[in-house]
Amino acid sequence: MENRDFVKHNCDHYSDHRYDHMNKRKFGSKEVDVCIVGAGAAGSVVACELSRAGLEVVVIEAGPFWNPQTDFASDELAMQKLAWNDTRIVAGSDPLSMGHNNSGRGAGGGTVHFTGVFYRFHESDFRTKTLDGVGEDWPITYKDLEPYYSKIEQDIRVSGPRVFPWGTFHGPYPYPEREPVSANAQVFRRGCEALGIRSTVAPLAILSAPFDGRPPCTNRGFCNQGCMPNAKYSALIHHIPRAIGYGAEILTDSMVTRVLTDRNGERVTGVEFVHDGQTYHQEARVVVISAFVVETPRLLLNSATSRHPGGLANCSGLVGKYIMPHTGHDIYARFDDEIRFYKGTPVLAVSQEFYETDLKRGFVRGYTFNAHGSRPVTMAKTLASGAGIWGKQLREIMTDFNFYARVTLVGEVLASPDNRVTLADEKDEYGLPRALVTFSYGENDNRMIAHGVARANEILEAAGGRPAFVVPDTAHLHGGCRMGSDPQKSVVNRFCQSHDIPNLYICDASVFVTSGGANPTETVMAIAARTAAHLIDIMSKGRPQREPASAAGRS
Amino acid sequence: MMTGENMSTVNSHYAGYNVLNRMDEWDSHTKEIVRRRLGPFPERQFLSEREWAYLSIIAEHIVYDNRADIIEWIVHHCDRKFADETGEGERKKGIPPEKILIREGLKALDHAARLSYGCDFGGLDVEQQFQLLADLQQGKAAYIPQWSLVPQKALFNKLASEMVSAYYSHPAVWSEIGYGGPMYPQIYVRIEEGLVEPWEARRNGK
Repeated sequence: MENRDFVKHNCDHYSDHRYDHMNKRKFGSKEVDVCIVGAGAAGSVVACELSRAGLEVVVIEAGPFWNPQTDFASDELAMQKLAWNDTRIVAGSDPLSMGHNNSGRGAGGGTVHFTGVFYRFHESDFRTKTLDGVGEDWPITYKDLEPYYSKIEQDIRVSGPRVFPWGTFHGPYPYPEREPVSANAQVFRRGCEALGIRSTVAPLAILSAPFDGRPPCTNRGFCNQGCMPNAKYSALIHHIPRAIGYGAEILTDSMVTRVLTDRNGERVTGVEFVHDGQTYHQEARVVVISAFVVETPRLLLNSATSRHPGGLANCSGLVGKYIMPHTGHDIYARFDDEIRFYKGTPVLAVSQEFYETDLKRGFVRGYTFNAHGSRPVTMAKTLASGAGIWGKQLREIMTDFNFYARVTLVGEVLASPDNRVTLADEKDEYGLPRALVTFSYGENDNRMIAHGVARANEILEAAGGRPAFVVPDTAHLHGGCRMGSDPQKSVVNRFCQSHDIPNLYICDASVFVTSGGANPTETVMAIAARTAAHLIDIMSKGRPQREPASAAGRS
Repeated sequence: MMTGENMSTVNSHYAGYNVLNRMDEWDSHTKEIVRRRLGPFPERQFLSEREWAYLSIIAEHIVYDNRADIIEWIVHHCDRKFADETGEGERKKGIPPEKILIREGLKALDHAARLSYGCDFGGLDVEQQFQLLADLQQGKAAYIPQWSLVPQKALFNKLASEMVSAYYSHPAVWSEIGYGGPMYPQIYVRIEEGLVEPWEARRNGK
């Protein structure tokens, strides 16, 4: 998707150099060590780590290189541009909302407009087949990711509660918990307390004290519109500038249209990309695709050759399958006193009391509650599109805008092969088939949603609110190139290396085997850091080879 | 312009509050974005004169307001949005691209109005307009073959979601609902229950 913004951005960025054309490339005529497709949560971490280790890295990002001071604004409508708005065709019984709901565009990707909620997955998330008989086990465990969770938290100074009561990690976090919390978070915690449900201040990728020349959060509440004071972490202001400092070259407004392979189809040789109507090639010893759950499978499928007629890395036929969103149902209650949930960081209090399986509830797996502030456009638009409310009724509800509190249900969705990304008949401006994204909730998902909505209403009621409305929604995306030990049943191995082509890596939320019941960004970044460590290790020994069969089952 | 009950008199909890009073505190990029919503608006790009008039009528019903300047902003927003090539985020399988959905959809609305009421959509009285839109939302407007190309609910949802987004981006509406509006480089220090910054909207009588 080409950039059509009014503001002109540079497209080529490397240490001490910025250009608005491609004529002064650093690595333009060279086979670099690693070419990374996508500068989001995953690609930026990989780029930073690899270039720090001395590898030559080019990152190619479809969207612009944002400048928070001149591109961001305190405005919901104008900041919809931070999303990947390119049209996807959606289908299934519960067709997904895309755009701002789950994807980013430009350097930093989704981290530019995420809420900064930063959770580790629980140990059970990696073993749902063994423990609950659903989904598939990951080829890695929590223990494999633990050092990388710690590293990422330390690198970006995550703030969090003194004690986090759930899962394996109970703190401490590098930076102290946020204080004070917003009224919306207070009523949530009061409701939880009344019902004996534990809650905490949210762990956040948002500063609670100065770091790296950046200030602590100012509570303006516009996390989803891009943080202007730079208090919230984004790859745009942390990993990308560091990668550039370590020697990486970042190309923006450049859409990768194809991953290239050698004549035998045994190795990838680089990528083809389009900038400003011109087609370019970048050669690389290793290609890492970090383009998220829709664009990663789409790129692999659109890169089909006679040797790989079903798309690259797709001998298993699983590229695009098993995609999972989170449930994102918003539960609103009306209070007699003002809440003003536009103020403060949107998510400041949370509970994972219902995260682990409890069969008495009538479903397996579980969910997180995020006390979740909102703003007028988001609230009114979702009431109109998600709940069918308009006209006089909507106007009257919105008159009481300041009197609502909201809880969002971030629930685990189980994997199904029918939920998938395929190619549509319709083509985009590059002549490439658009993505067709099919999604339907399953039985277990729906039972979990019913449970979560009822609990959320009880919590808000216990705090003095009157249940008002529930807006069905989804958030986040995972899967589509799941990792696994068996090349028949997965697309990449435990290090995100594709089973079929040893120098092709896929590193983003698409490798998730299960979705977990919590915001996924920290896990995406931890997997990226682990993949980077692996690449640094093997690239010091030459080009990546296929894993020996005997090692494939180990983790 | 709608007649009948006056839509603009929904009771605000914050009479007299004007979010624009603090506009000088906003960063220049945000200021410019919001200022453009107050008009005058540049030439229309996508909509015909007739389509513009229809969207104005529809907007008054969707947002339940008939202040001319706000309605003009909403339709201007729709015009720019539908002219833009950026993409729709998502589009349900079988639904035509939004340019076709809107253009053909508004023609279909005329056909359905003629079938049910004997005149074009523009000639309906307020009650009939409302009824036709309510039917559209339910997919129950008079049967015509065009609805298979431009499904009624998709047309309604596209319009409702753009119009509501624009309406709740207008500073006059922000003032009415007591929303604090843009906030940078200013900061909030009073975010807990019961606390408001000195400049924030105060409830009537408080």
